[in-house]
Amino acid sequence: MSIRETVSSVRPAPAGRTGEAARGTLGGRTRPRRRSRSLTAERLAPYVLVAPAVLIIVVLRLWPLLLGVNFSFTGDGDRNGTAVGLDNYLRLLDDPLFRQALRNVGLLVLLLPVAVAIPGLLATFIFLRVPGHRLYRSVYFFPAVLSPVIVGAIFNLLLAFDGPANTLLGSVGLGPVDWLGDPDVAMFVVVGVHVWATFGMALVIFLAGFATLDAALLDAARVDGATLPQTIWHVIVPGLTRTIQFVFVTTMIGMLTSMFGLLYVMTSGGPEGSTYLPEYYIWIQQGQMNRPALASAASTVLFVIMLAVGLLQIRLLRRAGRVD
Amino acid sequence: MAGCGSATGSGSSSSDSGDKLVVWDWKSGEPAAATYIEKAKVDFAKKHPDVTVEFVAQPFDQYYTLLGAAIQAGKGPDVVLFNGGGQIRDRVSALLPLDEYVAEDRQRLAGWEAFTAADKTYASPVTLQGHPIYYNKSLYEKAGLDPANPAGTWNEFVANCATITSRTGARCFALGNKEGYGIQFWLSGLASGVLTTAEYDAWIAGKRDWNSPNVKRIFQLWKEAGDSKLNNDGANSTAMFNDSFALFQSGKAAHVIGLMSDVGHWKDFNEFLTPEKLGVMGAPVVTPGTTPSLPYDGGIGYGVTKWTKDPRVAADLVRSLTSTEALKAFFADAGAIAADTTIDATQAGPAVGTMISELKSGRPALHVALSSEALDLMGRLSQQLLSGSVTVDEVAKQMAAVDKAG
Repeated sequence: MSIRETVSSVRPAPAGRTGEAARGTLGGRTRPRRRSRSLTAERLAPYVLVAPAVLIIVVLRLWPLLLGVNFSFTGDGDRNGTAVGLDNYLRLLDDPLFRQALRNVGLLVLLLPVAVAIPGLLATFIFLRVPGHRLYRSVYFFPAVLSPVIVGAIFNLLLAFDGPANTLLGSVGLGPVDWLGDPDVAMFVVVGVHVWATFGMALVIFLAGFATLDAALLDAARVDGATLPQTIWHVIVPGLTRTIQFVFVTTMIGMLTSMFGLLYVMTSGGPEGSTYLPEYYIWIQQGQMNRPALASAASTVLFVIMLAVGLLQIRLLRRAGRVD
Repeated sequence: MAGCGSATGSGSSSSDSGDKLVVWDWKSGEPAAATYIEKAKVDFAKKHPDVTVEFVAQPFDQYYTLLGAAIQAGKGPDVVLFNGGGQIRDRVSALLPLDEYVAEDRQRLAGWEAFTAADKTYASPVTLQGHPIYYNKSLYEKAGLDPANPAGTWNEFVANCATITSRTGARCFALGNKEGYGIQFWLSGLASGVLTTAEYDAWIAGKRDWNSPNVKRIFQLWKEAGDSKLNNDGANSTAMFNDSFALFQSGKAAHVIGLMSDVGHWKDFNEFLTPEKLGVMGAPVVTPGTTPSLPYDGGIGYGVTKWTKDPRVAADLVRSLTSTEALKAFFADAGAIAADTTIDATQAGPAVGTMISELKSGRPALHVALSSEALDLMGRLSQQLLSGSVTVDEVAKQMAAVDKAG
């Protein structure tokens, strides 16, 4: 009997939000004493149910994160294991290479709208059924199944100084560009290749978002004589706010954490350190220079940046969504 | 982590019996090393027929981690393969000095320096690694130059290059500096023609004066070579392994500063250019009065661990592993320049012959003496020198700072 009561009273909790669950528990305290045993179970049930998830997050995520942060306050080499305060962080600030890596993060944030707009626009065209949209759908997705190493190797060949890209430029009378050897160009090239290689995934997410779009609104717009840009701006973009928000955040994370393979294969952080990103810096310090504590400090900085950028984006986009 | 367990596991099962020796390396599993190992075993069996030898080939990427675990435990293999330089010097506390056992091999083998710490020898060299300047004799012939007499001075060298480029279209140097390795080879390959003997020795001994005119001259030459288009185009985006070597092999450049063993070496080049058309030249003399020498160090070598039961038996195995017969097989099959200076290498072509004749007068390579942090910075600065965004003085200043800190 008590079990049935517990079950019936607990049932709404998983479906509802945490706020509702909390309210239910608070309300339980004011109820008569004779039902306290079942109420204790009722109070405990949500905690028991979330415990595995919380434990996994705490033991496998937060605890190692704290260990890593703690490790970043210790020294390397001769000072291995001793506390050095903020030395590692000061050293990072002092290192022109790390500052370059941070500047490149800034550049990635600036290029982010482009990286989101490309799959968004292409998905819109597919959604609006341009001729050949079925073919494009698979062609666009194709690079997403290639590993970054393969993509990097392909573009290394294409963009070599004596490679096909420069031959093509030469045939129309333009001078060769040292795509991967010019520090002012290399970072844009690598980002471009990364976008080419990964936009297929964002495209699929956009197409899924389009599926939830109210077709009646589009029809109404068409009837009202809206042009294509007007349709995109006033109907499609507001309708896809949540999708755009999601793509923004995942693209940003992808840019900051999954470009290692491309960098490794295409530029090795060069030329002149111009294509360093924090994750590449972390790998060099840990693997090549044998400075794990400094690498931990850099990882902590990267984590804080990701957190800040992610929260900022969500806030900005939420506000934008409300206005629309 | 799993590797740690296996390291101590296989170690404890080994050195318990006195009539068995366990060898750790990363080479014995390769087909190219099979004959070498076989010959060494035969040689050792003659001296100690009752002792069995077990070779354990470890994966190279985990080799020093596994070895570290064995050293921590104080037991494991009796004979151990090492890379020369820092890798063995960091671990001499676990090794036996071999001087009294290998005295007879002193003259026959080269490359001891890389396995020596505080005047004690801890391993016998098996192969040598160095940075000879290779040149393509066909291009010399096409340009009307005498391939048997490459330039002796830098000015002659640059003049020859101008002739080759104008008559054949090939550039002077194949250079890959994408990873920043090009400057390391440049520094070591040309230094003996730029630095005086005293400066060279001081550099190896750790007393490096980055602001001396001759050290700066090496970087100045690097910049000039880039500015006057002696190198292939796009050197900063060309990978050394193996794009730059491919340029040399395909005759698009007349010279390359390559390696002696493993890759980018005479055996690779022989395949494309044929042994007769591949030459090795000394560094062109830049500073009058300098004597060019081949820059090389001991590549790999075998040492004996402290905890082995009978050091003499283990040292005998090391001697068998560096015997002339065994090294001859390693040279022939793997294409590595063996540490044995008595091996007749005339079969392998004139390039190898030149290198081996140069071994006696050769000296350690300059870049091997630098820390990985200094090498990393030097790589980036060298790219900036090529693109013109830094001056030689600034390079010297930054290198001096990082070399002092390191």
